[in-house]
Amino acid sequence: VTKDEAMKLVLRALETLNEELDQPIDIGPQTRLFGSEAVIDSLSLVSLIVDVETDASEAAGRSISLTDERALNRQKSPFADPDALAEYICELANEER
Amino acid sequence: LNQVHPQAARIAVVTGSRRGIGRMIAGHLLDEGMRVFGIARGDETFSHDAYTHIRADVADADAVAAAFRQIRSEAGGLQIAINSAGVLTSMHAMLMPPSKAREMLDVNLFGTFLVSREAAKLMKRGKWGRIVNIGSMAAALEPAGDSIYAVTKAGVATMANVLARELGPFGITCNTLAVTAIETDMLSQLPADRIRAIIESLPVARAAQPADVLNTLDFFLSEKSDYITAQTIWLGGVH
Repeated sequence: VTKDEAMKLVLRALETLNEELDQPIDIGPQTRLFGSEAVIDSLSLVSLIVDVETDASEAAGRSISLTDERALNRQKSPFADPDALAEYICELANEER
Repeated sequence: LNQVHPQAARIAVVTGSRRGIGRMIAGHLLDEGMRVFGIARGDETFSHDAYTHIRADVADADAVAAAFRQIRSEAGGLQIAINSAGVLTSMHAMLMPPSKAREMLDVNLFGTFLVSREAAKLMKRGKWGRIVNIGSMAAALEPAGDSIYAVTKAGVATMANVLARELGPFGITCNTLAVTAIETDMLSQLPADRIRAIIESLPVARAAQPADVLNTLDFFLSEKSDYITAQTIWLGGVH
């Protein structure tokens, strides 16, 4: 899985999420997803992570868990924005099993 | 998003589908024309054109994730999940082997958690789902010998209530069907005189019949029950 592929996957999931939101958000690599400046609420973030996890697992051909201990212990959250999330997906999808 | 019309609730997963209440419910849903995926540790005990048996331990997170990947791949979605897999060892706490106590916690409680969350991931895209946990009168009657079993059954009801909050925004209801004594392999493990005494103490002093369970199940699964969530229905007047 390349960074571009991972980014497309994240942005597609955000577009799907946007269809459900009363007030659609601007979507881009730096859209704040998590933290005090987040533009989506926590439930939307959960929904987004589930969708991205499902699609990333499909793309990688194996189960990928985005919310393991590693993700939770990182200094910069992999859920901060689509760029960070795509980076993290790449890391997980391409690491040695 | 594609909205799944309630009447299109055609894909179900039933854990513990090899025998007992799980087997009965799987058969009922098949009779209703649904496609049913059964999850159990052992081999299938029946066959049906619309039934797919998946051998998996519900307490194994990786196995559960793989089972739901298979369901997603073969059916594309899911609307109904019945958490029926359960084990029972009834024994005085001072005698209970720790491995048996742990097995009840793993299968009855942790397994219900793992299956519910994977089911919810599949249901959420359709914005419609029904999760029903099979509870037990043991959670209310708290009989001696059932220290761990009763805890796990109280736990699945509490779990359904919490999941009802978390999954409500996705159109998914979560409820508990608490059964009384019903003729199953599990019940046959217990002394007959003990079962008789419990039954005689119930407001409706008889054992549960399959129709009692299925009637309540149908109520929870009904398209009209989208305002019914975080509820436990006790059969036989247990409270």
